[in-house]
Amino acid sequence: MDIQLSHVKKSFGDTSVIKDVSFTIAAGEICCLLGPSGSGKTTLIRLMIGALPPDSGTIRFGDIEMPNRAILKRLGFMPQNDALYEDLSAHGNLKFFGGLYPIPKRTLDARIKEVLEMVELTGHSQKLVKNFSGGMKKRLSLAIAILHKPDILFLDEPTAGIDPVLRRKIWAQFQSLKAQGTTIIVSTHVMDEVVECDKGALLYNGRLIEYDTVNRLLDKTASGRIEELFFAASESEARP
Amino acid sequence: MIQLAKRVIRQTINDKRSVMLILVAPLLILTLVYFLLGDSDYVATVAIDRDAVAAPVITALEQQELNVVGLTAQEAEQAADYLQHNEDVDAVLRFSETSAMDITLYEPSTKGATAMSEIQKAMADLNPSAETTISYVYGTQDQSLFDSLGYVFLALFSFFFVFIISAMALVRERSRGTLERLMMTPIRRGEVIAGYTLGYSVFAIIQAVIIVLYAIFVLQLSNEGNIGWVLLPMVLLAVTAVSFGATISIFAGSELQVVQLIPFTIIPQVFFSGLIPLDLIPYHLGNLSYIMPIYYGAAAIKGIMVYGDGFTEIWGHLAGLTTYALVLYLINTQALKKFRKL
Repeated sequence: MDIQLSHVKKSFGDTSVIKDVSFTIAAGEICCLLGPSGSGKTTLIRLMIGALPPDSGTIRFGDIEMPNRAILKRLGFMPQNDALYEDLSAHGNLKFFGGLYPIPKRTLDARIKEVLEMVELTGHSQKLVKNFSGGMKKRLSLAIAILHKPDILFLDEPTAGIDPVLRRKIWAQFQSLKAQGTTIIVSTHVMDEVVECDKGALLYNGRLIEYDTVNRLLDKTASGRIEELFFAASESEARP
Repeated sequence: MIQLAKRVIRQTINDKRSVMLILVAPLLILTLVYFLLGDSDYVATVAIDRDAVAAPVITALEQQELNVVGLTAQEAEQAADYLQHNEDVDAVLRFSETSAMDITLYEPSTKGATAMSEIQKAMADLNPSAETTISYVYGTQDQSLFDSLGYVFLALFSFFFVFIISAMALVRERSRGTLERLMMTPIRRGEVIAGYTLGYSVFAIIQAVIIVLYAIFVLQLSNEGNIGWVLLPMVLLAVTAVSFGATISIFAGSELQVVQLIPFTIIPQVFFSGLIPLDLIPYHLGNLSYIMPIYYGAAAIKGIMVYGDGFTEIWGHLAGLTTYALVLYLINTQALKKFRKL
């Protein structure tokens, strides 16, 4: 299921946050939304999952135009903040979110065990989330996002504030999800992470300044560093 | 919806303070109210100039539940001054030359009223033709304030504690981002509020049972009607409180702001709950009670506990409360559109 954005615009009050963005994310790819903070990455993700209606333009998942409630069960979403219930255990959180999807109870219990193992939280499943460390919360948040085996996974800065070892593990999981056919849209401001992705969408002040395969994006730079493309964009914006 | 209700229950149980607030705090405050408004065996003190007052009057006064102390003619002359310096004396009783009574009280208070009523009894003893017999259609004369106003507190508690906990839980759900995450699952908007209401209803029922049993059997709050009927408006009030809390959470950015909104949300309701007789409120402001959910609950509870009403008499109030809850439910469901149009 491809995701097509066509002339999507969104503003909050007077500030225009997304300015005429059009691109298509092919099914089964990892697409990286790259940009400095405030560039509109989170807003773009929220537009795509239907949490925000666009001011103009359309967002389609295959043939289905968003927002659409039926498509929600095929989407997974990991928000930027942890969005967990602190008064519940890890297992309690998974059980609750899992229960909102039409999954048979026995399948759900097995699946909860599976995702807890994937994010290495099996030993902490009965602990209340308020006693979790930042990294544990991130991993639990990821576990919730992939619990119902979504076809398309939206991850808003999943590795922010996470140490390099854990970051590598998390990316390894994204690769294995991709191998199972999941489309992954991941936002980040860590430029190094772009090499893990198939495509890179570069956002700057709400405009899509580049969208291409990561290899071709890197070819456009002299030093092999993605930052260069943003420096170029900021210079061209400064010129009237 | 059941999933959400189960989660609310589990979450509340895991948070010990919430459990205490719902189950223990009402009992604690009710006990305090019982002692504050309950039977008072206060004995008023009346000062008289024994030389200037006829002996039968003194005897009559001494036969009442009164402390009678003597004072000099000069002190009696400056009664106000005397009362200011003798704070344990509530009233100075004098007789003018035409033998009319002249009573000086320290300040308008319950203590002064007690002194007055005892003096009047003494006068009635002296002159049987002045005796008055008072009878009530509902209640009795020796009923304490707790007996006549206790029902208001049952209504207030059912509403207030559930309101606080649900409003805060929903604000937390908004600010922590869990509500947005919740809205990204296939759950329906209506189910979110309904699930919350269902979850808290379980606590509301437990709370109502505990409060009612405690008030009636431990604190001996007088009750003319059926206990079962008392529970119904209490639980309905709590259900309305969840919706009310959800609506308030739209306007609050943090848990602290819920507290800041209490003067706008709860305190006016306390005044219009029946604590102050609505007919006494000037400029027809008493009519404001019709926009306050606590009024409907308190009126129904009063009907049952004071007048011994059954369902046929209180259904109007219950219908008012239900309408209130339904309107708020619709507002809340609409408000969730902020997170998801569908």
